[in-house]
Amino acid sequence: MRGVFFTAALASVLAVALICVFLFAQGLPPMLKIGVLDFLTGQRWRPTAAEPSFGILPMILGSVYITGGAVILGVPVGILTAIFMAEMCPKPVYRFLKPAISLMAGVPSVIYGFFGMMVLVPAIFEVFGKRFDMMSGNSMLAASILLAIMILPTVISIAETNIRAVPRELYEGAVALGASHERAVFKVMVPAARSGVLAAVVLGIGRAIGETMAVRMVAGNQTVMRMPYEFFSGTRTLTSNIILEMGYVERGSLHFGAIVATGAVLFVFILGINLLFSVLNQDIEKKRNKKGAG
Amino acid sequence: MKMKKVITITVTILALCLSAGMFAACSSNDGNPSVSENPPANNDNNPVDSPAPASDFDSSRRIAVFTREDGSGTRDAFASITGVGDDMYEEAVVLTATSEIRSSVAGNPYAIGYVSSGSLNDTVKALAIGGVMPSAETIISGRYPIQRPFLIVTNDEKDASSLVKDFIAFALSAEGQEIASDGWTSAGNTGGYTPIGLSGTLRIGGSTSVDPLMQRLRAAYIELNPNVSVEISGGGSGTGISEATSGVIDIGMSSRSLRDAEKEALNEYTIALDGVVVIINNANPVGDIDIETVKDIFTGEKTAWSEIND
Repeated sequence: MRGVFFTAALASVLAVALICVFLFAQGLPPMLKIGVLDFLTGQRWRPTAAEPSFGILPMILGSVYITGGAVILGVPVGILTAIFMAEMCPKPVYRFLKPAISLMAGVPSVIYGFFGMMVLVPAIFEVFGKRFDMMSGNSMLAASILLAIMILPTVISIAETNIRAVPRELYEGAVALGASHERAVFKVMVPAARSGVLAAVVLGIGRAIGETMAVRMVAGNQTVMRMPYEFFSGTRTLTSNIILEMGYVERGSLHFGAIVATGAVLFVFILGINLLFSVLNQDIEKKRNKKGAG
Repeated sequence: MKMKKVITITVTILALCLSAGMFAACSSNDGNPSVSENPPANNDNNPVDSPAPASDFDSSRRIAVFTREDGSGTRDAFASITGVGDDMYEEAVVLTATSEIRSSVAGNPYAIGYVSSGSLNDTVKALAIGGVMPSAETIISGRYPIQRPFLIVTNDEKDASSLVKDFIAFALSAEGQEIASDGWTSAGNTGGYTPIGLSGTLRIGGSTSVDPLMQRLRAAYIELNPNVSVEISGGGSGTGISEATSGVIDIGMSSRSLRDAEKEALNEYTIALDGVVVIINNANPVGDIDIETVKDIFTGEKTAWSEIND
């Protein structure tokens, strides 16, 4: 019987290992052929030109900017919501709020993308288009707003769980010492759950950087080098670069290889974020154990 | 603990850098166009003040260029015929589907894009090129310049098979070409088609642009030949040509002309002509444009509608 469980556990590990092998076996040779440095720091992506160039720096930056924007917009809202839900929410409201947020997590990303394309993009163009000489509403701003909404359920649910896990005695102690409810929550409970909240943010970043469908539909997908303040212009992310050009590319060509290599770079990014998450998680565990002992 | 501090510091620095950048942009942008808060600029947004409805269109605005992704057959045809070539405007918004281009152009008054004539509808306005509107006549006569053939290709071995022969005969017959002229342009037909009661399986694959037409041909063909099953796969023109050459599939679909080397290995049949139509928003007063201007817009030489002479 144990063997069955072991095989089941092995299946997921095997899947990840296979993906890893595929990505690097297929992605590394073209990367070496293009030149690792040329590939990672090249500023031009012209895969089908007579003299092709394969530089993905604009997309690496695009992914970082759009994710950064989503974090700046989404994380404060998410964490405040989590605090509200854990510490201040009346029961009837909670009964409504909790399923609503779970539902948010379940909405397929193409629906978010469709909403972004039909509502967000025209609205941004209407409001800022003339003033900032925008070409269209397809912009880093639109993608960041959309991603901020999409990471909310992740950030809220993990942050809430971690705030709830803080021992009640801390709160009671603070109140006994004369702190108001708000003061006890913000000065004692939230700081105590700090690493858990940070973990929520990191997981939110992971969700944002890996999002493909919705971003592709609103970000504009230009392969131009952008500065972080050019958020009224569009850019392309690593994920959208893969999905945009996968459809027509000839298997086995250098263009195909470069797209797989883009996937490998993205994989490394996600790996880093997950590593960060597990380091934070270990920290939480350690703290909990310490408390248990003390 | 040490690790955590390092992480906290890096995250904070990243967040600070990003927000600093954003604030810098905000303040610099707020500084420059303060003019737009003056009353005259607001007149543009107020249609009551403007006598003609057409003046809603602010021709000083930037042209919003929408293009297809690298490798798309439509983009290939458009770029090579207009002379845009590899120099597609870097700032152009890239979308992956004809329907996305169409709905984006429909939603943005200053937009320009291009789609296959089969997917044109009245949510957008088709531009005349050098005074010639895309239509069946102008595409057949070649007066409408931006067009491409929809080809089906076979290698010699497959071409000899009676089932392949029969399907091609159907596609080129009056019945098949009637389907082709509904949305695309028929290049002429070979007369009536009579089913001869064949059976078997046909494998067809390639261009996704030809696919909608092929789906309809397939449906009509199966109705006449109930014992034949037809499998259609995608993959793009390049895949269709290479798989038809190697014989992996019976018939390949291509939305671009064959190169000389490919012509030697394959038999080609033109099942329809497709115009690539340049589309703009219905609110845009421009109606006619010459092909040089199309090139200038799509290479980024001309960026405002005021530079376009109707």
